[in-house]
Amino acid sequence: MTSLTLGDTEKRIRALLVKDFKLDPITLTRDARLEDLGIDSIGMAELIFNVEDEFGMKLSDVAVQLSTFGEVVQFIDEAMAHQPAAAAPHPLARPLQTGT
Amino acid sequence: MRRVAVTGIGLVSPLGHDAKDVFEAARAGRSGIHRLQIAGAHRLVAPLAASVPFDGTEHFEPPQFRLLDRVSQFAVVAARRALADAGCELSQAERERAGVFVGTGMGGTLSIDDGYQTLYGENSDRIKPMMILKGMHNAPAAWIGIENGWRGPNLTYSTACSSSSVAIGEAWLRVACGPLEIAIAGGSEAPLSLGSLKAWEAMHTLASEDATDPARSCKPFSRSRSGMVLGEGAAFVVLESWERAVARGAAIHGELLGYGLTTDAGHIARPSVDGQAAAMAAALAAAGIAADEVDAINAHGTGTQANDIAETAAIKRVFGARAGRIPISATKALHGHLLGAAGALEFVLSLLALRHGVALPTMHLDVPDPDCDLDYVAHGARVGAAGRTMLSNSFAFGGTNAVLAVRAVD
Repeated sequence: MTSLTLGDTEKRIRALLVKDFKLDPITLTRDARLEDLGIDSIGMAELIFNVEDEFGMKLSDVAVQLSTFGEVVQFIDEAMAHQPAAAAPHPLARPLQTGT
Repeated sequence: MRRVAVTGIGLVSPLGHDAKDVFEAARAGRSGIHRLQIAGAHRLVAPLAASVPFDGTEHFEPPQFRLLDRVSQFAVVAARRALADAGCELSQAERERAGVFVGTGMGGTLSIDDGYQTLYGENSDRIKPMMILKGMHNAPAAWIGIENGWRGPNLTYSTACSSSSVAIGEAWLRVACGPLEIAIAGGSEAPLSLGSLKAWEAMHTLASEDATDPARSCKPFSRSRSGMVLGEGAAFVVLESWERAVARGAAIHGELLGYGLTTDAGHIARPSVDGQAAAMAAALAAAGIAADEVDAINAHGTGTQANDIAETAAIKRVFGARAGRIPISATKALHGHLLGAAGALEFVLSLLALRHGVALPTMHLDVPDPDCDLDYVAHGARVGAAGRTMLSNSFAFGGTNAVLAVRAVD
């Protein structure tokens, strides 16, 4: 497998967010907070689903804390480096804020 | 019991998106039924539907749009239109008690159909994470509540084809009895997925395509009827206590007099003359009117073999010898069967028929079934025939029969 540079990962996640979440690329700075981008816990679940499709990878369900766009990029980049040896922990920024 | 006024109408329908267009299409007998254009339509025996030209991106910003099934998009847009039509501003205290009552038969079936595609169709272990939130039946009601900040009862009724008549009736009950001053009530349905259409097809309930014109395929009460045609859309009304409506100088579309609700407790799918007649009688009792005060009926009139004969017999039982002189309109010939939204759309058409004094036509009724021998207003609208008081019938698989009694404003 050809390893990706950090720039490639960022470009692809940026493209996903622009296409699926209709976000303005200008807002996607590395320190942009997910909360400020309108990506809540439910949105994060959707983003991860789309990331798995885009990168052809499977993320496990162990939650880790991610708060910024840059952290998402870094997390996916690291997860890619470990694929397919083991599933990466699931990068939910926080547990789903839902209940029944 | 208090009087209940209908002060707002909102529509997203195969016949148009406002009351004027929808009434004019129904009056003129213009059908919204056509050949269906969806992926896999060629796999249907008769690819027919009454669909709605509707682009949700024109009505919702991307963050919210991603969370909305088409059924919720219809519901929220129709509710906006109803509230705009009502022209009422609610105080914070009023919003704390305002109610939302929604009927839907199939909820977010498009999202569920799409969501399971990865699991079954692609043999993936993953399902799109929004499927539950988009597919759940109470999503349309929830979104109406969220958008408007209405924090009173937020209820969803799923009684198949009578869902939205039940929703309107239950809202009426709460306004008439006093707990609520204002409610929005109606129904929404977006059932035009391949899976849903194939399921209805499997029950042998769908119409075959008319040889001369697909738009004529639904033929209620006709000897050549072959079934129903699925439709999509939403219809909502704003219900207010009469006192509140008058006090604020609202334009009142009509008075919801009462609501009859019965259950067959018999066959799961076969209509019951007893149950349907009992629902009409219950509506008359709730409205406090005699049978001879009913001037016209909007029939359930699906165009299926079983319904049309049973409904004819039920009307005869309730109205006796006078049944043959009551104009009966089956508007599903034009807008198709909106399932959980059908009752609300037909209730609105009843209001409009009364307002315009026009009995709406039952189209495509060239040769009546010998067992359907009442006055169905065949071929064309009848001016001056709607009278003052109407019933709007909705009957359902599962046996829930709901009838709304409505009166024109004097």
